[in-house]
Amino acid sequence: MGNEAIARGIVEAGCSVTAAYPGTPSSEVLESLVRWKKELKHPIYVEWSVNEKVAFEVAYGASLGGARAAAAMKMVGLNVASDPFLSAAYLGIRGGLVVVVADDPGPHSSQTEQDSRFFAWFAKVPVLDPGTPTEALEMTLKAFELSEKYQVPVLLRPCLRVCHARQNVSLNTPRPPASVGPFKKDWTRWAAIPKYRLTLHRELNEKLVKIEHEEPETRPILLNEGAGNTTALITSGSVSSHVRDIIASDTRLQGIDVYKVDLPFPAHRAALQQIVDEHERTLVLEETYPVLELQIKDRRKVIGRLSGDVPSQGELVPELVEEIILSTAGERPVQREAPAIKPRRPSLCPGCPHRPAFYMMRQVFDQAVYAGDIGCYTLGINMGAVDTCLCMGASIGMAGGLARAPLTEGKTRVVATIGDSTFYHAGVPALVNAVHTRARFVLIIMDNNITAMTGGQPTPAQDFLADGSPGKAVDMERLVRGCGVDFLELADPYDAKAMKETLERAKSHAFDDDQGVAVVIARRPCVRAPKIELPSDRFEVGDACDLCMSCIKDLECPAFRYVKSEKRMEIDADMCAGCGFCVQVCPSQAIKAKGA
Amino acid sequence: MVELVLCGRGGQGIVFLTRQIGQIIASKGLSVISSETHGMAVRGGSINSHLRVGEFFSPLIRSGHADFLISLDATETANNKHYLKPAGLIVENSTLQDETGTKRIAAASLARELGRVQLENVVLLGYAACVEGFPVTAEEIRAHLNKEPRESVRSLNLKALQAGIDAA
Repeated sequence: MGNEAIARGIVEAGCSVTAAYPGTPSSEVLESLVRWKKELKHPIYVEWSVNEKVAFEVAYGASLGGARAAAAMKMVGLNVASDPFLSAAYLGIRGGLVVVVADDPGPHSSQTEQDSRFFAWFAKVPVLDPGTPTEALEMTLKAFELSEKYQVPVLLRPCLRVCHARQNVSLNTPRPPASVGPFKKDWTRWAAIPKYRLTLHRELNEKLVKIEHEEPETRPILLNEGAGNTTALITSGSVSSHVRDIIASDTRLQGIDVYKVDLPFPAHRAALQQIVDEHERTLVLEETYPVLELQIKDRRKVIGRLSGDVPSQGELVPELVEEIILSTAGERPVQREAPAIKPRRPSLCPGCPHRPAFYMMRQVFDQAVYAGDIGCYTLGINMGAVDTCLCMGASIGMAGGLARAPLTEGKTRVVATIGDSTFYHAGVPALVNAVHTRARFVLIIMDNNITAMTGGQPTPAQDFLADGSPGKAVDMERLVRGCGVDFLELADPYDAKAMKETLERAKSHAFDDDQGVAVVIARRPCVRAPKIELPSDRFEVGDACDLCMSCIKDLECPAFRYVKSEKRMEIDADMCAGCGFCVQVCPSQAIKAKGA
Repeated sequence: MVELVLCGRGGQGIVFLTRQIGQIIASKGLSVISSETHGMAVRGGSINSHLRVGEFFSPLIRSGHADFLISLDATETANNKHYLKPAGLIVENSTLQDETGTKRIAAASLARELGRVQLENVVLLGYAACVEGFPVTAEEIRAHLNKEPRESVRSLNLKALQAGIDAA
């Protein structure tokens, strides 16, 4: 897998400190590092940090301490880490520092389609853009080299199609952990005041000019032998792989000169311009913003996003790439039947503790505004229990604003939901803010004791670290109390009665008595967590069922199925997780234990 | 060169199947590249994997190029049929009869007989492996599944594989 290849590259480069926060499509980088650490008995340090900003800072600190270091995250994670990232570009580094940022054109599992190469440009940091898992490994090694050579962080930007592609990759023997010697005090650099920052900015600009002109990766490389053609194509990263396969499989397209840029910022601008000047037309294909295209000064003969010929949103899938290349080459497009796609919507798993928590929340708060957050529980939208989803931790911050608008305060009832991992990640400062400002809302922390959506990584509540070594558990109740919260209660979402009573008390505290934010922790482990024993109980729908459809509409449990031909509900025993919540809340009390 | 698309619902073991096939092909010294779905869609949503044997750079199959569509959920077949070549074959987990271009096996009920419906993916794999032109053989899969160190997992997978082979 591309992410495994990147992890392998990190280990092979002699890197010794790595930190990450999980996020699709980047999560397997750190997971694979754990695997390589164990398999190779390598001393590398791996941590799941509390968020991406901290992950970057840990890696940056290690770099100043003399080690090669890496941080990994998804692209929206870089937004969180942007503050230290931009500043670090100015200050520079000591041990090689590589930031792996996985992009998600599509987007398949993200809030935006932002191009991290563009972010690298903004930060004035060089960026490598691999097209396959094999390249991802090679470029990881290259990134460490460049970083140390120019004393600057280097970004490695794989797209999802590289991260989650699997391919045979050749491995090499890892270098022993590299060191450039212990931290050397120099406050004019590592703690620079604005006066020195100006000097550092100049130094950074000089580094970029040097990289552009001296590193071969900044130059477009001709991939085929057809020099002297009238049409050129410049590409980079994951889309370059689609381009190569399409050109190779179509004899009509062999007359196109195909160039690939491995380091798209800072690209060798003169070399790009030369290609454009020497061809009648040049097509630029890259994910997802026009980074190479914008570095071409005279774009009159350039076909790309800026000319409107390449869509400015959505993934460049092979079918689309083929269509664009054919039309640039003046060939007829492929005749394709538009596929009739009716994708199945994702849904909370059967037995998921978030489902009963959302169900009861809807029962108790009814028409409230539900501020949601990022994680599996975003799927509460299916149950009408999530009205907003902005970014990690935003439910709590937004709830503070929603509760104060419109100005006729006291009307809008706001209920925020956030998962445990997201709460640790970015919810804590927002909760301190809400307590301090006496914000009037109820917060439900959906605590399943794991980072579920990204594959079950541990949270700070666990007493072990990414590689299983001992850590100290950060107790959630103490943390919430420490934020100054007066109302804090725990409930098991599987227990309908207890959950309802708890939520009623929270409602009185926040809304009726106006005593500030009330926090409820709905705690029950994820059904997908390792070593979870699911109940073997199975249930069936009895004759009392009046087909009110509440189990499908309100509970939204995927195990329920309406058998149209027989006009009855049934429970799919293969899907059912045996939680028994439906038995407690069925309006006509029609569900009973199987065979009872 | 063989290209195949695998589809189904999140949680049915599509990623597992893709990895097994990919590992077997790679261990034969052939070039293979594949693509998987992770993240939000895995929670019961529509998912598919692409697997390409041959000298490819991209992990994605263009519509109209796949030799096989391996479908773990009949309702997902229509969402992925466009990937198939005109002469491509669908191998589907379904209780219905075969028809031209589609071979079917009731993998879910066979898996249920073995005690775990989750084995339906391996049952379907055993069945598909008996189809002409499929990139891995039943024997290769058996040898591969035999490497699983956990006895209970190994024996269940091997039984499921055999059930698929027997149904072919």
